Amino acid sequence: MILRKARLKHLMMFIVPAAVLIAAFVLYPTIRTITLSFVGEDGELTLSNYKEVLTSNDVVDPRGFERGFPFGALIHNLMWIAIHLPLTTFLGLFLAVILRNIKGGAIIKSIIFLGMVMPMIVGGIMVRFMFEENVGVVNMILSIFGIPTKTWIAYPETALPALIFGSVWLWAGFSLILYSAGLETIPKSYYEAAQIDGASPVRMFFKITIPLLKPITVVVVTMTLLWELKVFDIVYVATMGGPGGASNVLALQMYMYGFREWDFGKAAVVAVLITLSTLVAAVPMIKSAGDEAE
Amino acid sequence: MKKLLVLTVILLTVLSFAKITVIVPWSGAELDKFLPVISAFEAKTGIEVEYKTYRAEDLANILPAQFAARKAPGDVIFMWTSFLAKNTANAVELSDVVMPSNYLPGALDNVTFDGKIYGFAYTAKVKPGFWYRKSFFEKHGLTPPKTWDEFVLLLRYLKQVPGLKAPIASGDGVGWPLSDVTEHFLITFGGPELQKDLIEGNISWQSYTVRKAMEKLAFLLEQGFFSEPVEWTTILKQWWNGEYGLYFMGSWITGMVDDPDDLGVFSLPGNQGMVFGIDYAFVPKFSKNIDEAKQFVAFLASAEGQSVQVAQGGHIATVLGVSEASYPTVDREVAKLLVGVQSLNDLDDSIGGLWQPAFWDQLKLLWVRPERLDDVLMALDEKMPKWFFITAIEGPFMGAFYMFKDIKGGDSHDS
Repeated sequence: MILRKARLKHLMMFIVPAAVLIAAFVLYPTIRTITLSFVGEDGELTLSNYKEVLTSNDVVDPRGFERGFPFGALIHNLMWIAIHLPLTTFLGLFLAVILRNIKGGAIIKSIIFLGMVMPMIVGGIMVRFMFEENVGVVNMILSIFGIPTKTWIAYPETALPALIFGSVWLWAGFSLILYSAGLETIPKSYYEAAQIDGASPVRMFFKITIPLLKPITVVVVTMTLLWELKVFDIVYVATMGGPGGASNVLALQMYMYGFREWDFGKAAVVAVLITLSTLVAAVPMIKSAGDEAE
Repeated sequence: MKKLLVLTVILLTVLSFAKITVIVPWSGAELDKFLPVISAFEAKTGIEVEYKTYRAEDLANILPAQFAARKAPGDVIFMWTSFLAKNTANAVELSDVVMPSNYLPGALDNVTFDGKIYGFAYTAKVKPGFWYRKSFFEKHGLTPPKTWDEFVLLLRYLKQVPGLKAPIASGDGVGWPLSDVTEHFLITFGGPELQKDLIEGNISWQSYTVRKAMEKLAFLLEQGFFSEPVEWTTILKQWWNGEYGLYFMGSWITGMVDDPDDLGVFSLPGNQGMVFGIDYAFVPKFSKNIDEAKQFVAFLASAEGQSVQVAQGGHIATVLGVSEASYPTVDREVAKLLVGVQSLNDLDDSIGGLWQPAFWDQLKLLWVRPERLDDVLMALDEKMPKWFFITAIEGPFMGAFYMFKDIKGGDSHDS
């Protein structure tokens, strides 16, 4: 009995500091934000903030389906996911596979990973100038093939795609490193046995590599998804959500509500929506972690 | 004992030299023009002044959180009056050091709330029109246009001049440079009253009058007379180096070019109003140096202080008693354009809030897609602050009223 109490005491001593930090910096802000989202300008409880946000053209703009961009921040975030997520994931996997057994591959991986380690604010500035008409590297390449050049982020139809494609190289280093680490854990004997049995490289890739990298894929997809839901810095410095809202995203809209309109209730609504989205996105990773633990 | 006494004297001496921080929106050449004012104040009072540069957009993020924490990042802060209007509870009343009688009429209106003065007006910049290099015009035998037709003809000519990327340089950055051009078109073709009505929310952006004025601008955009928006200081240099013919910008550029005497400027023909953009500042309640800050405010709000500033070029005093001789030659020429026109508040700075960045952003869209003028005007209406909603309903009817108003300016843009 005494021993049990002592162990419990020790256990609490380890848990309490972390619990305090989580309570102070996670739970309290979360609860406060949720509460704030239900408070109107008059200080009374209300659902008007949610109504205003969810019906705002800034968040979802149905007119975009007739005229083109903007479609609203929420749709733009979904576009980020639809385009950036598969590109980043497959590019990282592809690079990891081809660089696995190449001499000097580690150096190349490190260079690619630079895009990941630099602050995204800096990455955003780089993306902005990458697509500039006069000095951008993208236009320099396009001009070689005789394709007309322009400042891609200045036009509504191309601003968001430019940001998305530009950020692929910034984030690809993340998936590359994870997949590289994952590939190292696959026993070479699996491939040797498959080769002996006459399996082709493509078949080995889909039957051995892909299945065994599933845990890594879950992590890559989830983390990338979370980032795409919260993307702000690149958009802020490169386009500020423009032109005409064509590259606006939820996090930027939250910023606008909070620090330009000074309406913290609506800002809190967007924060809640983002939080709920990230929780949903995180479920597969949590479930995967639970499965592995079993 | 002697040592203790000496240390005490030294400590008291050190503490007696106060130090304040001023937060300004300028950097680079513009900031350099402000430093002599700081030096003059320090020499006069012995109070050290540290300066920090923050964009107003960034202060909009920082200040609410700072005030909530009962702190202030500076002792004197230059900021939009729309922000101050919502934060008078966090500002020091300055009625004891800022005297309306010392100012041009109306200069303090934007910082006076419920009869109390919560900020002060520093110098102003005007947005007179399109700047050009006199040497460039002389080389090509050009003269400032007197009519809309002449203006369009000038642009057509410039468009075919070898080496010019576009007739008119378009500045960008956060977005305000495009708004200045747009305001000029609204004022010229809608009349000065239109600017006031838009600020007060008395007219819809989709009204006839606004549309007709904006169509003038859209026409020029469609013709390719404006460049793509480029960061404004970058394109300023390009314009100065002969890559563009004209550049619409505020009067502060007279202090940003190598040879101000080579500068010329003209307003759109028929213009009857001009934005008189006053830089306003306030003292936050949470400043730890309120008394010293007030001394600095008193200096900046005096003829003595503003005389130092205007001598640097690019600024116009808002207080009385600043001699014309204090101004550089080029600024006197700018002042001539002010004769006979109404001084107006800045449109987007006055409305502020979420509308301002939306305005800047919508103009970026208009610049590259002028055919989407309808979308732009609709978006601007949607973004107007809520308290304008009731009066904004009258917009279409007010538009009908303006339809019959005799609008001065150019003829049809189909010329």
